[in-house]
Amino acid sequence: MAEMNFSKLHALIVDDFDSFRMTVGKMLQEMGFVHIDSAVNSSEALRLCRTNAYDLILCDHNLGKGKSGQQVLEDLRHFDMPSSDALFVLISAESSKSIIMAAYDYEPDAYLTKPITNKILEQRLERLLLQRAKLAPVSRAIKAKRFDEALALCHREIASGGRYANHCQKLLGQLYLQLGDYPKAEKVYREVLEARPLDWAQLGMARVKKMQGDFIGAQQWLEEALATNPLFMKAYDLQAEIFREQQAKDKLQQTLARAVDISPLSILRQQQLGHVAYENNDLHTAANAYKRTVKLGEYSCFDSLSSHLGFARATLALVREDKAAAQPLLRDLIKVMGAIEQRFGKTPEQKLETDLLEVQLLSALGEHKKAEELLSATQSSAAEAGEQVPLEVQIEMVRALRAAGHKDEAASLLKRLLEENKGHEASLEQLDELLEEPASEKNRARVAAVNKKGIAFYDAGQYVDAIECFNNAAQAFPNHVGIRLNLVQALIEKVKQDRLSRDYEAAQTILTRIENMIDSSHEQFRRYRQLQEMLLASDPEKRR
Amino acid sequence: MNSPIHNDRESQVDFSLVLAASVHDMKNSLGMLLNTLAGMMESAPPMTPEQARTYAVLEYEAARINSELIQLLSLYRMQEKRLMVQIDEHYLIDILEEQLARNDMLFRTRGIKVSLDCDEDLRWYLDGELVGGVINTVLVNCSRYCRQALTISASLDSKGLCIRIADDGAGYPASMLNLPLQDKAGVSFVSGSTNLGLFFAGRVAQLHTAKGVQGRIVLENGGSLGGGVFSLHLP
Repeated sequence: MAEMNFSKLHALIVDDFDSFRMTVGKMLQEMGFVHIDSAVNSSEALRLCRTNAYDLILCDHNLGKGKSGQQVLEDLRHFDMPSSDALFVLISAESSKSIIMAAYDYEPDAYLTKPITNKILEQRLERLLLQRAKLAPVSRAIKAKRFDEALALCHREIASGGRYANHCQKLLGQLYLQLGDYPKAEKVYREVLEARPLDWAQLGMARVKKMQGDFIGAQQWLEEALATNPLFMKAYDLQAEIFREQQAKDKLQQTLARAVDISPLSILRQQQLGHVAYENNDLHTAANAYKRTVKLGEYSCFDSLSSHLGFARATLALVREDKAAAQPLLRDLIKVMGAIEQRFGKTPEQKLETDLLEVQLLSALGEHKKAEELLSATQSSAAEAGEQVPLEVQIEMVRALRAAGHKDEAASLLKRLLEENKGHEASLEQLDELLEEPASEKNRARVAAVNKKGIAFYDAGQYVDAIECFNNAAQAFPNHVGIRLNLVQALIEKVKQDRLSRDYEAAQTILTRIENMIDSSHEQFRRYRQLQEMLLASDPEKRR
Repeated sequence: MNSPIHNDRESQVDFSLVLAASVHDMKNSLGMLLNTLAGMMESAPPMTPEQARTYAVLEYEAARINSELIQLLSLYRMQEKRLMVQIDEHYLIDILEEQLARNDMLFRTRGIKVSLDCDEDLRWYLDGELVGGVINTVLVNCSRYCRQALTISASLDSKGLCIRIADDGAGYPASMLNLPLQDKAGVSFVSGSTNLGLFFAGRVAQLHTAKGVQGRIVLENGGSLGGGVFSLHLP
């Protein structure tokens, strides 16, 4: 390999071990580096990167307290800094793959595994710099948006079978996708796949199919990519993207749950899981995913207030549904709520929303006096803001009023909101969360349809199908008393038929929950009572 | 009373973290050890054959710990189905040179002459890290058993890629030549670590498949240098 001149390059070494920084610094000096800085932790490293333009950053993955090496890279590429284009070499003790799995968008230019010796470092840096120099015309063309030139350069490298042909094939596929020329992108990937079923080319094909609107084709390619490499996180990410576009929320949750199970350290995947699980009313999953999101956000540039509030919303919803199950999460919530101001400052709307969640937390903890004080403070700020209070905040206000025991006030606010939003389908869908029976056309139709289907199964004596049907409906409309009573009724018939105590207990649990939801003035109260008696009479243990 | 180590899935996840964290620490220490050793040899070069041997032992043992740590983590992940195998096109020269560089000091202290025979343009489909780990294991092992020369080569034949590491030592013992290397259950921890290395190599070979053909390893004696020959065949 040609001798390289390193003397003009600026290098930064980041590691929390003094001795490691010194050793690597010495190695660089021996190679001919003159400009070498070092940083002992992530914040020092990023501070240096904001003021200096480094050509090369050698960064350990494990930096002790604070951001990890991967998170330093994320910051560097996410924000525009003088060092954003530096060659980034991530150093780790073990194989790079566990880091690759956590990575979401940004990958380092190279990984180096410890222990590092003079010779390894020199060899690797020479190769990297050579590659960067060779590909510089392509990068410049892409940066200047001279895409024809970039494409031509890539084609030339591939046709000549050059050293970076493989790299250029990847680039070429990406460029065609970016430019919207899907047939050409497909051609690139197909050519690669003719030689070998490589996961990145299969993923590329899936992208092509997705962009062409062929979701089934895309899913097939993704399944192939996952058969080739079951831990291929980018394939899960694309799968999730497709399910999100299709509004297939159950499948989206399943995919994200799998991805998070394989690679628990990605904050963005955890956040998405929390979001969709909350929409699916799977509160346990939602609360736990948001909890991990908040934890992972501690040092990440992807930390967000919405994850903190998401955690609060999911946990408090769980409190309403199953207080015992929510108990362990409440302790975490106290901490998370306490840290919000310090981490995000306070803007008025968020402050209002945050305070309303805090009211609910205080109520759940039995601190009624504090809850009451904060509630009246938020009510006066809401009154000041008047019309400008967004609907989400109003919804949180209804919940806070309910949690603090102001049932009538909650009801009249809700009534006012329903009147104000009459005819606004999207707003009504949001308000449905608070209602026993949905107000929006869409959700009314959904309830009617699913009820009809369940009742048909019930009438035909297909109790298992009826139970599944009502169960799904109860999951989607957790406040709907009628659906739950239908579920109980189907369960009772099944108990009579199969005599399984499992079914009996399930029915009992639901009835207990209904008892907390309604009182004797409720129009379904009599039916509730009847079903309760029917269930008792069918107890499989008693007759034995 | 009841040990928390083996009761549920949760504690297994913890163990994986513990393992990764300790490997991190150990590798840091190992790095320091190797670098200090290199510095020591520079400032106080061995004056007698005796001293040279001492340095060589230190180098060898450190390299062995490193290669075993890599194997340990990889095998653990394989068992947990958490080992990512990412096959892509690689230049063989890059992979071979990196492993030679990794063990450069080891070869020097042991006075081993290494020759590399690989076309600059040779490329093939493989997982660079895993195959690198196998080559490292074999190189470290060879450094102990060869006399003074070692050849590493890579070439294509009708069935695919063949990476060969040959030495001028006494060759592999008959017990190892007859070992069922591709056998999944063939690891015996009683007989020592050499088998673990071969077991690892065999598993990595098997993880490379193309059109229904699996990769494999072969041990032979003889070869160009008259000692042991390890070869890794990847379809």
